[in-house]
Amino acid sequence: MSNRPANIGSTLLRPDALLKVKGEARFSTDFYEKGHVWAGVKRAGRPHAILKNIDYSEAIKLPGVIAVLTHKDVGGTNRQGVIKKDQPVLVEDRIRHCGDAVAIVLSDTRRSMEEAIRAIKLEVEPLPAVTDPRLSLKDDAALVHEKNEDRNILLGGAITVGKGRAAEAECDEIIEATFETQRQEHAYLETENGWARLDDQGHLEIVCSTQTPFRDRSEIAEALGLDLKNVRIIVPYVGGAFGGKDGITVQTLLALSAMHAAGRPVKMWWSREESFIASVKRHPSILRYRLGAKRDGTLHFLDVDITMDTGPYDHLGGVVLALAMEHSGGPYRIPNGVVDGRCVYTNNPISGAFRGFGVTQVSSGIERAMDLLAVKIGMDPLELRLKNALRAGDRNFVGKTLTTSTGITECLETLASHPLWTQRSFWKRNAGILKKRGVGISAIVHGSGYGPIVPDYANAKIELTGEGKFRVYCGVVDMGQGNSTANVQIVSSILNQPANDIELVLPDTERTLPSGSASASRCTYTFGNALISAAKIMKERLCRKAADLMMKKDPREFSTTPITIRHLPSGSEIPLKVIANMMDSSERIVTAYFRAPVAEDLVTGDYNLRLHGMPHNLFSYAANLACVELDEITGKVTVENYATASDCGNVLNPQLYEQQIQGGAIQGLGLALYEDFVAVEGHVTTKDFSTYLIPTSMDAPDIESIAMGIYETTGPFGSKGIGEIATNGPLPAIANAIFDATGHMLEKSPITPESVLTALTEISKE
Amino acid sequence: MSHALVPTKIEELWAYIAENPEAMLCAGGTDLLVKIRSRSVTPDCLICLERLDDLKGVRFEAGEIIIGALTTHRQMIDDPIIQKDLPLLASAVQNLGSPPIRNMGTLGGNIVTASPAGDTLAPLYILKARLKICSKESSRSVPIESFILGPGKVDLRTGEILSEVVINQDSRFTVNHYEKVGRRNALACSVVSMAALMNIAEDNTISEIRLAWGSVGPTIMRFGDVERLLEGRQLTVRGIEDAIRKVQQSVSPIADTRASADYRRDVAGRLLLRLLSYASSR
Amino acid sequence: MIVSFELNGKDVHVETSSDRRAVDLLREDLGLVGTKESCGNGDCGACSILVDDKARLSCLTLATQLQGRKVVTIEGVCGEDGRLHPVQKAFIESGALQCGYCTPGMVIAVIDLLNSNPSPSRNEIREAISGNLCRCGAYQKILDAVEEVVKDSKKEAS
Repeated sequence: MSNRPANIGSTLLRPDALLKVKGEARFSTDFYEKGHVWAGVKRAGRPHAILKNIDYSEAIKLPGVIAVLTHKDVGGTNRQGVIKKDQPVLVEDRIRHCGDAVAIVLSDTRRSMEEAIRAIKLEVEPLPAVTDPRLSLKDDAALVHEKNEDRNILLGGAITVGKGRAAEAECDEIIEATFETQRQEHAYLETENGWARLDDQGHLEIVCSTQTPFRDRSEIAEALGLDLKNVRIIVPYVGGAFGGKDGITVQTLLALSAMHAAGRPVKMWWSREESFIASVKRHPSILRYRLGAKRDGTLHFLDVDITMDTGPYDHLGGVVLALAMEHSGGPYRIPNGVVDGRCVYTNNPISGAFRGFGVTQVSSGIERAMDLLAVKIGMDPLELRLKNALRAGDRNFVGKTLTTSTGITECLETLASHPLWTQRSFWKRNAGILKKRGVGISAIVHGSGYGPIVPDYANAKIELTGEGKFRVYCGVVDMGQGNSTANVQIVSSILNQPANDIELVLPDTERTLPSGSASASRCTYTFGNALISAAKIMKERLCRKAADLMMKKDPREFSTTPITIRHLPSGSEIPLKVIANMMDSSERIVTAYFRAPVAEDLVTGDYNLRLHGMPHNLFSYAANLACVELDEITGKVTVENYATASDCGNVLNPQLYEQQIQGGAIQGLGLALYEDFVAVEGHVTTKDFSTYLIPTSMDAPDIESIAMGIYETTGPFGSKGIGEIATNGPLPAIANAIFDATGHMLEKSPITPESVLTALTEISKE
Repeated sequence: MSHALVPTKIEELWAYIAENPEAMLCAGGTDLLVKIRSRSVTPDCLICLERLDDLKGVRFEAGEIIIGALTTHRQMIDDPIIQKDLPLLASAVQNLGSPPIRNMGTLGGNIVTASPAGDTLAPLYILKARLKICSKESSRSVPIESFILGPGKVDLRTGEILSEVVINQDSRFTVNHYEKVGRRNALACSVVSMAALMNIAEDNTISEIRLAWGSVGPTIMRFGDVERLLEGRQLTVRGIEDAIRKVQQSVSPIADTRASADYRRDVAGRLLLRLLSYASSR
Repeated sequence: MIVSFELNGKDVHVETSSDRRAVDLLREDLGLVGTKESCGNGDCGACSILVDDKARLSCLTLATQLQGRKVVTIEGVCGEDGRLHPVQKAFIESGALQCGYCTPGMVIAVIDLLNSNPSPSRNEIREAISGNLCRCGAYQKILDAVEEVVKDSKKEAS
């Protein structure tokens, strides 16, 4: 790491990189102890049924097996969920998806644990499974939750904009298309896991891979009937999460196990296959778009209908829907229309948070619709976008006035003058024999934070240690996105201390302070703003202390410099270590709070939609360009070049920024071309990495990332959220490139070689 | 599984097999250990063959190229004889699995696993490979197309191992072509593959051709009538289009999570178009 | 049974069952948790170790297969004095990692490549890591990092 103070805007190498390249970074999978207990889960194995009996008489006899736990062992509500608590820790009477947890086996060895799970027999009465979200809406559909107010609808709502549907008649051109996006699996390399111990004081300590330690704690306490102050969650390095660990995965199962392990530590580690069956996925969606414009390309009308398959439990499904509805018009001015959406229960695998969070789905809708419209009007697709691109002060589709930085025009203009765009005709003409080339673009907007009602806040804590160094207590989890590096940069730069001297305490409910989830592209924005305040307060406090010590009356004459405080007029210095030891430990700690500003606009009277996030207040923007080459023999798509111009505010750390853009784009590429998580009648058929294909190095093109660097005045040093936007660009950009090459707009994803081949052979017929 | 044995000499191997007749034999383990983990097979005993150095390596002998069954894919890629004399096999193996899998997996293992998608198989069929099967008492030689009986089924009896793959040294084909179509570019199970050995006459006609397809039937497929149809034909779209249709009518692919049967059928024929890239310049 | 092999430069003798997976032997029995497990089926490369200088998947290797071999895990990649291997240094400088879970396997794959091909092209590097999945999408910077290593070693040689 660095011996000098970091600078904002300059790359500081990740402090965690040293441990990670040596294999010394500890993840929660890396905890073992002689005599620890293995805990594993018996899963339902069928999508919808009444559970009549759990027969573990054979399982419990197996050598090494300590206990088998069922819902009878759950002392609290046995319910978990963020918005709606509709998911049991262990099934009581109703199985709602194949991955439902029915029993836990505790054992001395992993092998006997696995054998015992196989030996448990479930007696069930099968129920008709609801596996098609369209059929789930019908009046004769089986109900996934009998007591749900609105049959199989978790959340639904509609917003009318301007003249609503009446404006359709005023359009000169209209296109209609229905897009279907698929289920996507997070496929983080570190599967769900944890390590837990209940000590003899009744104190439960859990080490876990999660994005939400504080919220988890509340959920565990409520579901299992524990006292909150007796539950501690520690989050070490996390091996990827991308939304899949936003909420309860192993935590309640692990806590329950620890309560029955007689003080021994318990380890739970889901296999890849179990993770596939049990964990949440990106919501599959059906998007019906009717987009209309005037002859000159001015967008006039949008009617969009959204159906999302949320699986059997809430798992933030309503929040995903609300964000999708809000973003369904993309980064454009569209004065009239309707957005009508619903999030539907089924007995399919659970859908939940996944980087992009609903915006990924609708971005692919509006952006493909724009290209269809461009052809209908006879306008260049980039020109059509520029003409309608939102500017600060405009209202977006749902009526939110943009009061924060709005850089979509700059992003599009950057691509407009990029050689990949300006020389695209020449590039396309040079396709090889039996190859066809196309170039496509997509324009993306992505709102960060939680919306107007749920508070988006963070509490930063900085401590001056007895050694004269600074310790930052990280409130938000760093699951690879690098916010801990940004934290070091912020503190190092404000306090002028060598980056090496900044220690990090990773999230720990007993040491760090509640700061919300590592999600919604809000980590560095919200926690960073809190941290800036804390660092400034710390600096001021130390300067005042120094002024007192040196008997100077103006603390402004002082500044913190590497390892000292210096009196600027005289040059005298006091080492920080000395000052630290003259301070009480409570004086050496500074905490600061920040709550993100929210939208004042009331775009809907529907309280439910508002609660679920509508509208957001701060938006990041990006424009993407994909150059694809299609093989006319096999239909395979190769992305030859990919560039993105993004407005995520001022760039705090160029290397981190690029990592997010490149990484997010590769996940988006997987969604576009390779990944299809398939469940047939509720049963997962893509069971592992041999059938669920994420991009390898041979599939991932180099991504050119151009940052606009526009300063956002409310952001920490001018930055905005960057975590999710890059994932939204590739599917529409690639679909649009294929449309450019073949004249066919592919409406389903992933875009398979088969569908491309069909499009290509249809051209040769024409 | 309760134990694994690792013989270092062939005599030890026969002894272990005699003591554990139900044992499964493991070469690189990249297929078998996966099957054991998923419990699709549950052997009590595993005999690992990887220390039997006599069954490794590539050599010439009396006009034949002999490849030890336990030669890893990586060893084949690096081997000068394979590079020079069996470029078809080298290019097929280059596509197999991934680098660590190529370090571990063996030619013999790929053959005995007998997946219709096995990357070494289509090349071995058109190279007319013969397999040497050994037991304690005897050995026999079997053409590969007789050895592989169906998906995952081979003519290997208890007490036998595949010890060598024998290919006639024959460098008369100028075109050595292998194409694997997967859903992504690495770690991909083949969706359809085609191996071709071909000679082109000066007038751009196909003078000689051998073809084999993978992943479009229960085993590797060869069609004598397609090959005969192509011999003498111009290497142009017009010249081969009825052969394309004939291939599409002759294959019998299944549908699975990776691809539909129609796609496999369609592409199996279309892969012949790739041979046009070898046509002499017009 | 006792398995004896050279591990990160030292001779070890471990009491274990013959069918124990190497990844479990390393992580659980020997406390070397740098080698990760992510799929158990050979599909991701996270469990890669060097056996006789070649990358192998420890989830598909049995303890008994390590007998007499030279094994290097990520913990053994540093020099004796703790000095970082040039590949490790380049990974840090190029930002070739995010969550870090695939990193040990990636480093092993790259070392295997450079042992046999000290001057690979970008495409050859790409192919060498094609058996290592990175879900954070750090492939591009990993390629950049290895190109830096190759460039530096050429400079040193001249």
